[in-house]
Parts: sequence; structure tokens; C-alpha cells
Amino acid sequence: MEISSIFNDWLLASVRMAAPLMLLGIGGVFTERIGVFNIGMEGMMLVGAMAAVAGDLVTGSVWVGTLCAMLAGGLLAVIHAYLTVTRRANQIVSGAAINLLALGLTNLLYGPLYEGFKYRPRVALYPKLAPPAWQEIPILGPVLFAQPVIVWIAFALPLVATWILYRTSWGLNIRAVGDHPHAVATAGVSVFRLKYIGVILSGVFSGLGGSALVLADLGMFGPNLTAGRGFIALAALAVGSWNPTWVAAACLFFGAADALQLRAQTWSQTYGVNIPYQFLVMVPYLLTIVALAGLVGRTAAPKTVGKPYEPESY
Amino acid sequence: MKKRTATVLPGLGGFVLPYARPFLAIALALLVSAGLILARGANPIAAYTAMLQGAFGSVAALANTGVRATPLLLGGLGVALGFKAGLLNVGAEGQIYAGGIAATAVGISPLPVPPWLHLLLTVVAGFVGGALWGLIPAYLRAYRGVSEIVVTLMLNYVGIQLASFLVQEYAPLGEQGVFYPQSPLILPSAHLPILIKGTSLHGGIVLGLVLGVFLHFVLRYTNFGFRTRMVGENPEAARYAGVDVRRQIFTALSVACGLGGLAGTSEVIGLKLRLFDRFSQGLGYDAIAVALMANGNPLGVILTAIFFGALRAGAGKMQVVVGIETPIASVIQALAVLFVIAIGFTERARVTRREREQEPEQERAVHGDQ
Repeated sequence: MEISSIFNDWLLASVRMAAPLMLLGIGGVFTERIGVFNIGMEGMMLVGAMAAVAGDLVTGSVWVGTLCAMLAGGLLAVIHAYLTVTRRANQIVSGAAINLLALGLTNLLYGPLYEGFKYRPRVALYPKLAPPAWQEIPILGPVLFAQPVIVWIAFALPLVATWILYRTSWGLNIRAVGDHPHAVATAGVSVFRLKYIGVILSGVFSGLGGSALVLADLGMFGPNLTAGRGFIALAALAVGSWNPTWVAAACLFFGAADALQLRAQTWSQTYGVNIPYQFLVMVPYLLTIVALAGLVGRTAAPKTVGKPYEPESY
Repeated sequence: MKKRTATVLPGLGGFVLPYARPFLAIALALLVSAGLILARGANPIAAYTAMLQGAFGSVAALANTGVRATPLLLGGLGVALGFKAGLLNVGAEGQIYAGGIAATAVGISPLPVPPWLHLLLTVVAGFVGGALWGLIPAYLRAYRGVSEIVVTLMLNYVGIQLASFLVQEYAPLGEQGVFYPQSPLILPSAHLPILIKGTSLHGGIVLGLVLGVFLHFVLRYTNFGFRTRMVGENPEAARYAGVDVRRQIFTALSVACGLGGLAGTSEVIGLKLRLFDRFSQGLGYDAIAVALMANGNPLGVILTAIFFGALRAGAGKMQVVVGIETPIASVIQALAVLFVIAIGFTERARVTRREREQEPEQERAVHGDQ
């Protein structure tokens, strides 16, 4: 392949691979802004991916698959919300258990999902809506217009989230509740309801992210398919300072790193060159630690994230 | 203000003694999983009977349970020590790789020392590898105030990738001329001894049991243990009492990570006998569940690790006999943890502030209060 087409292919893949991360990242903004860690997003994404394929496989409709994914992610998030908000359980422990549950359930149901099929069939994928002529535009054409519609949705979401968070009064509540829950309660707003909504949103978006992962171009499900992408989204939260725009930018960057490492793996196979792609995979994680350590800029988590809200403790 | 007490599982935790709650949680998890098994068209009683046989029914089954319990025990102790210091060490997976890497580096080197010393050096290297790995979150938490949760979580993937790189043919620990990326065999002098001939039960379980009892005594009867628990309970009070809180957090987290490193060490030099790409497959995450089920109590970690090991060992037999796939073990584990935190908190919501101050420490550790 000539250099320019390699570059275009990488750019195209970067945008596509950033889309699921962005969906999770925006979900993560909501849950951490209201003060609840959700490391269970990884599991919610995994279950979402499987539900998307299952719904699509049964009905043949990519949108039914999407709905199933959002429902499945949301359902797990309800458990997380109940345990962490109502029961005030440890958020990390609940999230870790949800990840374990998701991994076990998907591994268990993966066999029955494809029962009766000789090989794993590819299900219907998200349509590409742009007219083919637009894709002829050099460089930007394919990157913008050869993408399935879910990628457009994912890239529009940070803008919507920014508008909600910074331009609506409900968004103000969301931003306030993570730092000063008692002030929000004093203003007569239900802290519990806000928290439930935030956590459930993160689950719904994680499920959607799972469906973006499988129904964009893969079309099938496999064991532990998400492979830690939910944690990359958590990394993007810290690097992007819990701000939708910056989180989205971090996701785009991490998507590019992911696309690059996958290509580095094939190059090392086809050309026999030794590229230690593993270091590319580490980038998001290392960058997060660096960002948190305060070496690059300053990031501050919402003040009460990780702590249960106790109305009587004021 | 009206307190939000139980809405679901009303007061379920109130019917049993605090120490019995994990057992109630396990029973509920088994009950829900029985529904899953039923839905998959198998008989739950037959399934659980097969599981029991697979875990405890013969010498080979017992050995299998022990082998599977070992990394969960060592890793669980690491998480538990963090718990007691008020820290959530969710990085056992990364520490397993760090320890495994360090142990491999020493274990494949022909050192001019007697075999027992080679083994000892390898085990120590594994501990030190994990502890050095833990210096990053320990320093950042103690002296920069960065959450240990996110840092240890992120380091998991760094550890996995680092091991994956190191076993490539062209990397320092890679074996030449093989199809699958792996390290050379650990030298026999650095193998953990096999305890029962004809099985793969290795000395790692003894190491885990000894360390579990040792940690119990350290936490309960030594200054170090007292300071650690004090910092975990109430850092403000600890500071007031003259404890160097930062140093205590730093030390406790490093040692905890070292224990995680030992989990990887025992897997490499006891069971796999090489370093492989992705050899752990999530053991570190199971270790978190183990530590939580046990309330962060080292003796409880021993019991829970054996229980989880039995689930894993029994699931293989269950698959053969009734055709339910082995991931059911993960489902049961996850449900047990979810039920434990659901039940455990039923009571807490009712406890008033004053009562809470008089709560025994084991109670509070579960809640993860800082």
C-alpha cells in the first residue's frame, strides 16, 4: 500500500474506533459528575454488545439491536445505582462485581446465542447515509462520509452533552451535585433522583457503545470482545477533566492509538518487522496516570466521587 | 429526615449474625444461579452435585481446588491489606504480571547458588517486583493525593502489555524459535515443589496459607498492623495520635502490591512454569471479590479463596456432567459479591451516627469507609 492510502485507512479507522469510546466517555461524564464511579461500564458495554448482536440476529433490524443494547446496559446500571446510591455500597466493589457478572453471563450465553448456526453469521450493520459521491472528496471524504451513522451519533453526542451540562438548569444540577450534594438538596432538588439518572445514563450509553463496537462493521459477538475498552473510557474521563469536549478529544486520541497498534500488529506480520505495538496499547493508561499525577495540566475529579451520599450527615 | 432503609431485601441482613452474611449471600447466589441452570435446561441439583464432586470428591479434585485457590488467596491477601488501610487496590491483575515478570527473570537465570536459594530468590524477586510496581500508586496516593483506585486499575493494562512485549521472540524474556510468544522454561531449581504426586498442587498454597495466618497476626497484634487499621479507620485520629499517615499508606500499599506479585509468582513457578502472554486471565479481578467477601479479614480470605477455587474446579466437572459451561462459576461469584454488599448495607442504613462510632472495625471495613 502506498503511504497516503495507509494514512487514510488509519484516519478512517481512528474515527470509527473512537466512536464507542466516546459514547462510553460521555456516559462516564454523567455518572462521575453526579458522584458515582462506574468501573462497571466495561461490563455494561460487553453485555450491550451481546444484546445488540442478539437483538439484531433475531429481528434482522440494527435498531432493535441498538435498543436491546441500551436496555441491557441500563439494566445493569440500575443494579449499580441501587447498590451504590440507595444501599451506599462501595462503588468500586459493585462495579467490579458487575464486570465479573457481565463476563460470566456473556461467556455463558455466547454458546446458546449461536446455537444451530454452523458458523457465526454477520448481522445487519448500521447504514452509511452519506451519498457515495461525497466520499470522493480527498482525505476528509472517506473519514467523514464513509462512516456508519452510529459514528455520526457518537460525534454529535459530546456537543449535545455540553449543551445540556452548561446551558440547562438540569445540567447545572448535574454539575453541582457531584461537588456539593447538600447544596443541591437544600435547593429542593432530589439528589437521589439525579444520581440514579446519572448512573443509568452511563449504563445506557455503555450499552450503546457496545452496539457501536459490534454493529459498525464487525457484525458478530465473541468472548470478552470489549477487551478493556470500558477502562479506556474511564481513562479518557481523567485525561479530559470530566468535560465532554475534552473527554471526546481524549477518546479520539485513544481511538487513533488503538487503530495504530492494530495496524502495527499486521505490519509486523506481513513485513516481518518487529514493532512492539504493546507500548502503543499502553498509551491511554500511562497518559491517565501522568494526567492524574498533575504532570500535564491539572485535573480534578468531582469532589464526592466514590463517596456515598448520606442525607443525615450534614 | 426519613431514613432510606431496605426497600428490596427488607432487613434480610438483620436475620443473621454479621459473620453469617457472606454465607447468606452465597446461598442467594447459588439460588439465582440455579434459576439460570434451570433455564439452560439442566437440573440444578445434579449440576451442584457434580460441582461438589469436581471440587472435593477425590484427591485430584481437592488438588485442583487448591491450585485454583492459590492465586486468589495470595492476590486476595494483597487486596485485603489495602482494604484495612482504607485503600482500594484494584490492581492485583497488574501486580500478578509484574510479579510474574520479576520471578521469571530470576527463575530462568542459571545462578551459581544451591537450588533452595534459587527458589527463595525467585519468590523474593516476585514479591519485590510487585512491590516496586506498587510504588507508583503508593507514592501518588500517599504524597500526591492521587486516587489509588484509578492508578492501580490503569496499571493493570500496562502490566498485561509489558508481559506481552517481554515474551516476544525479540524481547529480553522471549524464547527463540517458537510459534507462541513465551519465556523459556523456569529452571527446575526455581520450581515450587509439587505437594501431591500426580497432581499439579504446588507449594504456592502453603505460601498463601502461611502468609494469610501471618497477616492476620500482623494486623491484629503488631504496631504496624495497629497503625494500618487506624489509618484505614480514621486517618484524622491516626494523625492526631502521631501516626505518619502518608508513610503508613505508602508502606501498606507497597506491601499489598508485593503480595499481588506473589500471586503471579506462584502461578509462574508453580503451575505454568513459563511466562505467557496473558497468563492470568482476570485472576486479579477475582481476587478483589475474594477480599471483599472476606471483609478484608486475612483468615476469611483463606476460606473465600478456597470457596472460589472450589467453584472454578467444580465448574469443569459440572460442564462434563450436565453441560452447563464453566463461566457459571464467574456468575455465582459475582452474584455472591453483589448480594453481600446488598445485604451488608441493609443494616448500616439503620445505624445512627452514634452507634456507628461504636461499630466493631470488621463491620466498617466492608463499607469501605475512609
